[in-house]
Parts: sequence; structure tokens; C-alpha cells
Amino acid sequence: MDASESEQYEAAIHGDREAFEMIIRTHSRTLFAIAYGVLQNREEAEDVVQDSLVKAWKTRWRVRDAEKFLAWLATITRHRAHDIFRKRRAVSLSNETIEATESHTADTTAIDQQLHSALAALPELHRTALTLRYFEEMDYRTIENTLGLTNGALRGILGRALASMRKQLRPALASMD
Amino acid sequence: MATIHDEIDTWLAADLHGELSNKERSALHAHLVDCAACRKTHHETKTMNKILEETFAQEKPDPAFEQRMLAGFRNRIPQRSGLVKVLVDLMRLRATQIAAVAAALLGLVQIGRMITGEPVTAPRAPERYAQIEVGPPQAPESRPSQAGALERSGGISAGRPQDLALQPPAPPAAARSQFQKESKVSATTAEPAKAAQSEAGDVAALELRNNAAVREEATQSPVESPAPALANRKLIRNATVELEIVSFDNAVQKITAFANGEHGYVATTDSEKQANGKLKGQIVVKVLPENLDRFLQEIRSLGELKNQALGTEDVTKAYFDTDSRLKNAHVMEQRLIDMLKTKTGKVSDLLQVEKELGRVREEIEKMQGELKYWDSQVQFATVTISLAEKDMEEPAAFLLKERAQLSLYTPDVEKIYNEAKSLASPKVQITNAQLNREYSGRVSAQLSMLIAPEESDAVIGRIKGFGRVENFQTQTQRIAQGGSGMSENARTKRDKMELNITISREEQEQAFQQTSLRIRTSSVDEKAKELRTLAEKQGGRVRSSTFSRDPDGREVANVSLRVPLKNYPALMQSLDSLGKVQNVSVQRQDRTEAQVDESNAPADISIQVYSQGNIVTEESGLLATLRRTLAQSAGAIMWSLRMIGVAIAFLAPWVIAIVGVIWLARRVIRARRKP
Repeated sequence: MDASESEQYEAAIHGDREAFEMIIRTHSRTLFAIAYGVLQNREEAEDVVQDSLVKAWKTRWRVRDAEKFLAWLATITRHRAHDIFRKRRAVSLSNETIEATESHTADTTAIDQQLHSALAALPELHRTALTLRYFEEMDYRTIENTLGLTNGALRGILGRALASMRKQLRPALASMD
Repeated sequence: MATIHDEIDTWLAADLHGELSNKERSALHAHLVDCAACRKTHHETKTMNKILEETFAQEKPDPAFEQRMLAGFRNRIPQRSGLVKVLVDLMRLRATQIAAVAAALLGLVQIGRMITGEPVTAPRAPERYAQIEVGPPQAPESRPSQAGALERSGGISAGRPQDLALQPPAPPAAARSQFQKESKVSATTAEPAKAAQSEAGDVAALELRNNAAVREEATQSPVESPAPALANRKLIRNATVELEIVSFDNAVQKITAFANGEHGYVATTDSEKQANGKLKGQIVVKVLPENLDRFLQEIRSLGELKNQALGTEDVTKAYFDTDSRLKNAHVMEQRLIDMLKTKTGKVSDLLQVEKELGRVREEIEKMQGELKYWDSQVQFATVTISLAEKDMEEPAAFLLKERAQLSLYTPDVEKIYNEAKSLASPKVQITNAQLNREYSGRVSAQLSMLIAPEESDAVIGRIKGFGRVENFQTQTQRIAQGGSGMSENARTKRDKMELNITISREEQEQAFQQTSLRIRTSSVDEKAKELRTLAEKQGGRVRSSTFSRDPDGREVANVSLRVPLKNYPALMQSLDSLGKVQNVSVQRQDRTEAQVDESNAPADISIQVYSQGNIVTEESGLLATLRRTLAQSAGAIMWSLRMIGVAIAFLAPWVIAIVGVIWLARRVIRARRKP
């Protein structure tokens, strides 16, 4: 993290709205990726990012260490996404999800459907890591920072995530070749 | 270590994501060349990666995503106006919160103090005032601060405008206003401003001191360089100085030298010798007025300056008045002379003129004398120097006053009283003699005498020999004469000694040591007599003796003896020969405050001689224990017997009654069978 970025966070914590808006510009896609990793739904993910930003602004003075501002934002987003996820499951497992998947199936191929179910089967951390990687093409280091992982842990996570996806999609893959 | 093959998934993913170093990548590719299975996995993973990239590319947020986020954020968090925003932001800062809590607590504490009536002002405040008031050291300069204090205490402004006018105007006024402000502030409860306030106080004190210094200079400067405008004025300057010096003569010499150095002269000198050999005196020196200040400075170096006063008298007006009157008188004189010269008119008129001329001349001379006197006074300043040698108060001599108190015990008071009286001589004067005889037989005497110092030791020695000295106290007082304090050189003289003697009969003396004991013996009367002879052998006397015998055959003799303490151990030793000595108790009164002749001090011994007769035997020893045990067991048996008796007495009526009933019943039954 370079100095100017750190200063930006500091300013945002102290109520500099412009700095905070700058952070929104640069990092909202990352937050989106995290929310999407949990929810796998674009609209919901967008709402989650929006809510998280508002909450972050309101509670920004709680952050003591400006260096950890981004990780803190990520945590807020993930928690918010979890809340939504739980609510969704509580409301109705059958209705919405299936409807949503059905609406997907209408205009997507079979492999897409398989991919989605395979993604849904992944542990949440793995899925988030994957979304961050494939949405934002972030390098491992940044992803680790954002998710609060230790050095080198991401390699194993992404390796395992890819492997399990591969195994689940093996028949489809074979057909593709 | 895990091989590439084992962790092929990780390696492949990292490779596809471009996270492998060159070295790692070549190692991976080398392995892929060798391992067919991994090659297959590699292929699959690549496809997987591609699918994922494609899929996620579809799901990626559109380019307007950030704008939407921003717009949503701005919608939901409207921009606040400046002040509110600053306030809200401030309140959210941790430091502000802590400060607010602290302020609230302090406020509570203050309210609590006000309620309980504790002083609310900052505790350092009084100290500061003290410091300020003490600060400016010299008397005239300390006035503004006193004035300030007055103003503070009662609001009565001390009316000293003339003093204040002399001083540089602005700074003291500022300092005073600061004073007032401060006192007001400290009267209210201004806790948070405490630090600032104390600072202000210190600054004020500092300023005051500076002002004092400035003022000192200001008051001195006109003295040191008289303004040129004053040069043709007629000013008489004089000064008085009081000095404490070590040596008078030396100081006079030096003053003379200084005076000559300043073109002056010593006008008069007088000195006086004190009883203690110290000199004091007065010197009047005349010096040129312009040299006066330097001269005074020089004088100060001679010793300790006690007092100094400098005065100036302006005689300009009187001088010039006299001067013009003199001129007039001269004119008058001339005219009178002219009148005489013309010699016209009657003789009586001429005589009148002559008389007038005489009067005018007299006046002229008087005025001339006056002017001359003033001239001399103006020409030279008068310095009156009072000198006193150090330790002026040192005493000239010391008088040693001795007073002694002597208490004597003797068998024959009257004899000793007469003997003491016969000691009277020119050098031993009896001032008071008194012999008291009471009905109870108590005899005592009191003597007071004055003894010449050279005789005192001998006389006291003799009187001490008359009897037993119970108490002897001397008191010496050294009285300084012609001064006070200490002196190394003063002589010490012994005064007549005052001696008070009290003579009492020996019997009245309280025993120094009291012993009581019991002697068990078979023949009480005989032993009591023996005891008396023993006591006489040891120089003791029997004070009282009683003998009694009760119907049980118990004989008791009480003998009270008094022996000198030196014979006490021997007597005690010899008592053992009389019988078994028991219950010895000794009581001694150490009289620390008095000088006591211990060997001759009386020791009282009370002895009870009693017969073994029916007096209860010892309660210790094997036999006694056995006896007690037996007695106790006998007692126990008796007790149980009694209990048995009680039980029998308790049961017997019932037994008798039952037996009676049975016997009657049998008789009845038998009586029925028979018929």
C-alpha cells in the first residue's frame, strides 16, 4: 500500500467525503466481487455494496488503523452479504432461487448451469477468491490483503477451488474438447 | 517436501494466473513433459480457466457500476452544511469524546465541591499572592503592591497618588489591573483556565519585580546627577548614616581619609566607651555636595549599614530674599552715611541718624552672617556618621548567683539547729531561723543564710556533717551585667551564696527501703527479744513492737526495725538464725532527683514472728498431695453415700407401699379361701 493511498484512507476516516468517494471509485468493484462471491447474484451484490458503503461511511471513525481500511470495508461487505444470503434462504429456498436459476437456464447453456452449481458447492472463501481473481484479475498479493489472508495461502485455495470445479465439470469439459 | 506432482492443482492454477516465478514455471513445464497424468490435468485446468474467464466476464459489473454506486451513496448520505459537519465529525473523534467525558467529570467534581462548601479556588492562588507581596524588597518600592492588596481586600484605594506619580506610570498600573482581574477570576470557579491563570500570575509577579528595579533606579538617578537647572539653586544637603563597624578608631581613620579624598574635612568627632570596652561615637564630615553620593558609597564599605537618610533643604528663596534685603540695607547705610557727611540739621537728628546707622549695620552683619552660613552649608554637605562597634550589647561582666537547698535528718533537731546557728560570722549571715515544735512531737527547723563565696564550700561541708543529708540541691545562675548574650572577655564574679536548710527528725524520714518478712518459730516471745538485740548490734533501732497470743495458741509478734542501709544485708543474714524466713518482700523507692547518702539511708524492716502452732501447713509436697487426694476420695465416697441415701429415701416409700399392698392382697385372698 503506498503512502498516498494510506493518506486517502486517513482523510476518509476523518470525514473527507471526496477521499471516500475516491475510494468508492477505485474499490467498489472489489467489494462487488466479494459480495458476488457470497451471493452469486448481481443485483443483490450491488445492493450489498451500496449498503456496505453507506454503513462504512457512517461508522468510519471506528477504524483506528488506516492501513486496514480496505480489509475493514471488505469485512463489512462480506457480513452484509452473509446477512442477505441467510435472509434469502429463510424466506424461501424453493421460490426465488429456483426461479432465478430457471430464468438463467432459459438463455444459458448446460455447461453454464453446471458451472453455477459447481461454484455454489464451493466453500465461500474459495468462491470469493475465485470471483476476485476472475472479475478483477487481481494478483494474489492484493487478494490476500483484501481478504485478510496470510502470505501464500491463496495459492492453495485457488488451486483447490479450480481442481474441485474441474472434477465436477469433467464430463462437460470432455464434451467440449 | 511435496513434489510438483502432488500439488499439481496449485501449480497449474498459479501458472495460469501468472503467479509463478520463472524458475518455478520451468520446473513445472519440465514435470509436465515427463508426467502424462499431469499433462492431462493441465489441459483440463486450462479449459476450466477459460470457461471461468468467459463466465465471469459476463457477470462482471457494467462500466457505469461505479457511477451508480457513487450516485446511490450521495443519495443516501446527503452532504451536510459546514458547521454541522465539523461538529459531527468532531464528536466522532475518540479524543473529543474523551475530552468531553473528562470535562463532564470535572464539572461534576466542581458542582460537588460547591455543594459541600469546599474552597473552589485553585489551591496555588494564595501562594502566588504571598510571593507577589513579598517580591519587591525595599519599603518605598513595595507600595504599589500594598496598594494593590488593599484594593483587593476592601476596594479602598490607598490614596497615594503622589507616590504613584513618582514612578514610571504604565507598567505598575498594568500589573495592578492584572491583579484585580486575577482575583476576580480566582473568586469564580474557573477550573479549566487554571494553568493559564497561574502563568499569568507568575508573569505579573515578574513584571512587578522588574518595575521595582526600574523604580529603584529612577529614585536614585536624580540624587546621583543633579540637573543642571538646579546648579545655581541653593540646596543644603545632609545625610545621616548609621554604621556598625569592627573597630572604631580604624573607621575614623578611614572616614578621615575618604573625606580628604573627596575634598572634605572631618568637622567633629566624639566617642564614648561602653562598660564592656566597646566604642561608639559620632563623626560629622563635610564634603562637597557633588561628591556626597560617592562618599556615602565609600563609607558603606566600612561596615554594616544600619540606617541611612539623605535630606535636601532648598534655601534658594530665603537666600535671595536675604541677599536683596542686604543690598537694600547697604543702600540705606550709604544714604545714612551721606546724611552724616552733610551734617545738616540738629544734633538730635544727627544722633538719630547715628543710631539708625548702627541698627542698619547690625542688620547687615546679621544678614551677611546668615548668607555666609548658608554658603558654607551649601558649599559643603554635612554627613553625620554614627558608628558603633560590633557586639555593642556584649555584657561587661557576669555575676554567678548560687542557691542551695539542703535537707538534713538528725535524731536531735534542736541541737543541730543551735549548732548551725552558732556558725554565724561576718561571712556567714543567718537571714532566717525557725524552729517548729508541734504537739505530735514532730520537730523541724528551717534556716536560711547568706555565705560569702569563699566560705561557702567549707560551711556546707560542716553542715552536711551534722546529720544525714537527704537532699542537696544547688542552683547556679549566671547573670550578665551591662548587656546580654555571650562574651568572651567578660569577667565572672561569684556572688554570695544563699543556703536554705531544713532540719527534720530522723523518725520523720521516709525509709529508703521497706522489707517485710515472716519468721516461723516455736518460741515467739524469745525470738522477738533476740531480734531486738540483733538489731541493736547492727546499729538499728526498734521502732515498734507488738506481741499477741490468741486462744488457739497462736503467738504473733510484730517488730518494726530501722537500720542504716549499709547494715541491712548483715541483719538479713542474721535473721536466718532465728527461724525459717518466709514471704520476704522488698519495696524500694529510688529518689533519683535528690542526692542521697545511700549507705546511711534508713531501711525499715517489719518482721512478723509467729509460732508454728495451728497455722495451716504448707500446701505442697508429696505428703500434702497424698493427703489431699485421700481427702478428696473420702469426700467423693461420702458424696456417693449421700446420693445412695437420697435414692433410698426416694424409692423407699414406694417399695413400702407396694409391699404393703401385696401383703394386704395376700391376706385378703387367704381369708377368702379359708371359709
